[in-house]
Formats: sequence, C-alpha cells, structure tokens
Amino acid sequence: MIQATNLRKTFGKITAVDDVSFEAPDGKITGLLGPNGAGKTTTLRMIYTLYQPDCGTAVVDGMNCAERPVEVRQAIGALPDSHGLYARLTSRENVRYYGQLHGMRGKALEDSIDELLDLLDMRDIEHRRTQGFSSGQRVKVAIARALVHRPPNVLLDEPTVGLDVMSTRAMRDFIRQLRDQGRCVVFSSHIMQEVSALCDNIIIIDRGRVVASGSPDDLLRQTGQADLEDAFVAAIGSEEGLVRA
Amino acid sequence: MNNFQRIWTVFSKEVSDNMRDRRSILSALSSSLIGPFIMLLLIIILGRTLFADFQERTFDLPVVGEQYAPQLIAFLRQNGAVIQPGPADPEKAVRNGDLRVVLVIPGADYAENLSAGRPAPVQLVMDISRQSSSAVIERTRKLLEAYSSMVAVQRLMARGIDPVVVQPLQVELRDVSTPETQALLFLNMMPYFVVLVVFVGGMYVVIDATAGERERGSLEPLLINPVRRWELVLGKLFAGFPFAVLALSVTLGAFWVAFNLFPIEDYIGVQFKLSFSALAAIFLVSLPMILLASSLQMIVATATRSFKEAQTYTSLLALAPALPGLALAFMSVKPSLFNMLVPTFGQQLTINQFMRGEPVQVGLVLLNAAVTLIVAGALVVISVRLYEREQIILGPR
Repeated sequence: MIQATNLRKTFGKITAVDDVSFEAPDGKITGLLGPNGAGKTTTLRMIYTLYQPDCGTAVVDGMNCAERPVEVRQAIGALPDSHGLYARLTSRENVRYYGQLHGMRGKALEDSIDELLDLLDMRDIEHRRTQGFSSGQRVKVAIARALVHRPPNVLLDEPTVGLDVMSTRAMRDFIRQLRDQGRCVVFSSHIMQEVSALCDNIIIIDRGRVVASGSPDDLLRQTGQADLEDAFVAAIGSEEGLVRA
Repeated sequence: MNNFQRIWTVFSKEVSDNMRDRRSILSALSSSLIGPFIMLLLIIILGRTLFADFQERTFDLPVVGEQYAPQLIAFLRQNGAVIQPGPADPEKAVRNGDLRVVLVIPGADYAENLSAGRPAPVQLVMDISRQSSSAVIERTRKLLEAYSSMVAVQRLMARGIDPVVVQPLQVELRDVSTPETQALLFLNMMPYFVVLVVFVGGMYVVIDATAGERERGSLEPLLINPVRRWELVLGKLFAGFPFAVLALSVTLGAFWVAFNLFPIEDYIGVQFKLSFSALAAIFLVSLPMILLASSLQMIVATATRSFKEAQTYTSLLALAPALPGLALAFMSVKPSLFNMLVPTFGQQLTINQFMRGEPVQVGLVLLNAAVTLIVAGALVVISVRLYEREQIILGPR
C-alpha cells in the first residue's frame, strides 16, 4: 500500500513535481500516466527514498519514506529509470547480490532466485554474463533482482520502454501475476494503450500535477468520453508526449 | 543482518567483479613493476659511467703527436691507457662527442722544453659539460700530473735536493661514504615508487565502483536496496585494498629481487642488500596510505562526470604526493615533528630510513600513521556526505 500526499519537488527554479497525491492499494495495478517530463520519475524517486520531498509525504505500508528510508526500501522492489546490470556477473549473480544486500542467505535466497528465474522464463540466460544482453533480457534481470526479497510493493518506472512486442506482452502478464499475488503494483508509462490494458487505477500526471485519477470507468465519466485513450487526452488537454499504441 | 555483513557483501561483490576484469589486474600489476624496472634501468645505464672503477681498467686515449714524447706515452701505457692515433681535428671530434678526450703533444717544442728543464706544453682537449666523460678526463689529468711530479722528483734528486721540500702539504683524502651510501643514490628513488604504487594499485577498482557504477546506470537501483550509504562507501572503498596491497607486495618483491638477486655489483661496484625485515617495515608503514589514497579517489570519482574524467584526475592525484619523494632522491631531509605531520611525505622519509638501515623514531612514525589515518577518516566522511546527496544518482552537471 502506497500513499502519496501533496508531494512537491523542485530543482533550483524547475518544479519537477508540483502537487501529486494518490493512493495505490494492495492487489491492484496503479498506473502513473503522463507525457515525458510530467514528473513521473521524480514522484517514484520520492517513494523509493532517493529524493526527499520539499513538502508532502510518501508513505509505504504506513512508513514515511523520508523518515524510515531503510525500512521502506525493504518493503519495496523497484525497477528505476536507469537499471544497468553488472556486465561481468551472470544473471544469477546479479540477482544474488541484491538478495544478499537484503540480508538473504543460503537456501532461502537460492530458492527465491530459482522461483523468479522460472517465472520470468530466463533459465537460458541464468549462467551467462550479462554483457551483450538484449534489452528484454536486461529488463528481466533487473526485475528479478528487484523482486528477489519478495517485496509487497512493486514500483516499475517505464518497464516496457525499448522492449519488443513479445517481451512487452510477457511483461504485462508478469505485472498481472504480481497483482494476483496481492501485491501493490505501481508503474509509470507514457503509452496510453498499455495503461488502459493493465491498470485498475489510473493517475494522470501533467506538469507535476495530478489532472485526473480513478478507475477506467471513473475517468470515462469524468471526461465524458467513450474511449479511455480519448479520456486521457481530454484530461491532459493535449496528446503531446503520449503514445497511443 | 548487521552493518558488517552489508559492507562485506558490497566489498566481496566489487572484488570478485573486478577480479574478472583484466584491466583491474593489469593496472595494478603494471604500475607495481614500473618502479623496480626503471630503477634497474638507471643502474645499468648510469651505473657504469658514474661508478665504474677506472683505476683498475684500461681506457682508450687518443694521442696526437705520440712520436714526440715516447717516455710519457710509455708511462701512460703502464698505467692502463691504450694509446690510439689522434684525429686530424681533435677539437671537432671532442665537441661532436666522437671522442671523450684527446691528448695533444705539440711537436718538437715538447722534447726541446723538457730537455732544457722548462715547462713542456701538452694539451688535453675535453668537453667538461659532458658528464659521461668526466671519469676519463679526471683519470687522464691525474696521470699527467703523476708523470709531471715524477719528472720533477727526478730533476730535484739530480740536483741533490730532497723532493720533500717541494711538498709543503700532504693532502690525504678520507672518503667516509661506504659503497652502500653510493648505491643509495639509486635507492633514494624507491620511496617515490612505493607511494606511486599505493596510489595507483587500487585506483581502477575504486573508480569502477563509483564513477563506473553510475555510468553503467547500476547506481540508482543499487541505492534502492536497504543499505546505508556509508556502508556502500566503505564496501567500495575497501574493495580497492586487496588490489593496492597486491600491487605494493609485487613492487616490494621486485625491489627485493632487483637488489638481492640482480648482479648490481657489476654496475655500481657494490652489492646492496635490502633486508626482508626492512621490506616488511616499509609494507606496514605504507598501509595507512592506501586508505588515504582510496578515499581521495572515491571523492574525485564521485565528483566527476564520467569514468574517463575520474581516471584522468586520479592519475594526476597519484603523482602529487609522490613528487616530494623524487626530491628526496637529491636532497637530504631528516624526519622532524613538522614534516612527519604531512601524510605521504612522512612515510617517504620513513621508508628512506628503513632502506638505509638507519634507526627510526618510533614515536614520529606512529604520529605520522595516526595523522594519515585521521586525514583519511575525514576524507571518508566527506565521500559519505557526497554519497548521501540526491545528485549522486545523476552525477554533477
């Protein structure tokens, strides 16, 4: 469960996030939709404790991100904006390192790795060094290592960017599985079709503010549109920076 | 899971990751062999010209007008000179460096003056600015003087005068330099190379773990793990240690081989021994500098934009503390309370003393180590502060 209340973040004269509030419940997929530069990544960074908000609060499972960052980081698994791998380590070693940083050892760790390798269908690259991996393979490793400690909250920043059609489809199935396990899933995207296909809840962000939010039905009602993607465009007032397909 | 386990996790990942990188190993090893290699090279090249004992060897002496002074020539031959025919233009030959020295006996004047008891002119054509010729010049002059006084003694005795009356002073030279102290001229460069290797040995690993981590885009996800920033910094900092220690050990080992197994004696006339205990002491004295070097490199690598930029600055960083050591090779500086307060400089003075087998002041050495560790600790705190800033994800702009 993630709650953001009146989050604001400025860098010098630039206001990256002006006023963002939303709630992402467990067992639901919450999508942050907005054009590039709308403030999605900055919002997520405040939740995964890399940025301190200027004002407002981000709370994960009742813990304030600014006050108890280490505990919050234990409760979340994140695929951030940059998700580089260690090229000289194998897929399994990359995942194991993160598990160890979470204090996992021995059989519990190896079992968790095995489970994720099966779930993400990456046994073929398990013992290969990640040097030269395709973007689909790279994202799989990055997701596996983010989830190795079985976090109840999952944050994914544009997880399908750069993926081919097959990988994107697999990724969407995977995100649904995470929800069906009862986890709180938040992901950001600028692709309207992806958000409408996946999300139980949609937060539309533009220029650092939430311009509309709710379930797909709520958004249709609020904007008076028949089509969800038209509703997005109506809420933001422009199609610029968004992708339909 | 305690702090130590997390630091250990970061440390062992960085070490095993870098062990797979040939560049890390190569950079540690190549830097460690450069010092001993350069020193041996200098000994081989300079050793013969500066230290070779000419008194016991023959040397070539080109002479113009050999036929005018058969007695002098015979004397020179007896004393090791191999007389060569002189060139047509002695000054040109010496100026060009074709010959180091040429003895010119100017024709009939010589024999005439000599038999008449007047000073007989001879010329020694030489280029005093050529350092490598100095030994030959010196030796030729000495032989000419010896011949001159030999003739003088004969003349005085022929006139019934005791030759002692023309010798008011008896100059006796007592050289207190031992063969070892002469060899130390070369050994004096060793502290320089030791500090250099301390600063270069772990450099690549520290940069790779900081600037490299950010450049590969793996820093942001790493920071989302439940690890405190200071734990990350320490783990990454210590990862440079094994590499620096390896490089330092290889350097000291190579110096040991160079001084104890290589036939230095053939080049500088003495065999210098570097004892094992001196090497062990030098090793221990150098250890605090590794922490200093790693923390400095950490700060630089955190504050720079890219791996390459970090590498450029840290390479320069390696030279700065080592430079005083180069000066030490030519100047004589004794450890004092003041200069032992300076990290890296104090160590170089101490290493110099261990090398010479001089007694060290343990108090000053410990003070020096303590100051170095305190400065390093402060630098670690600064690098943790840098790591705690939000800009760490994106790097400076």
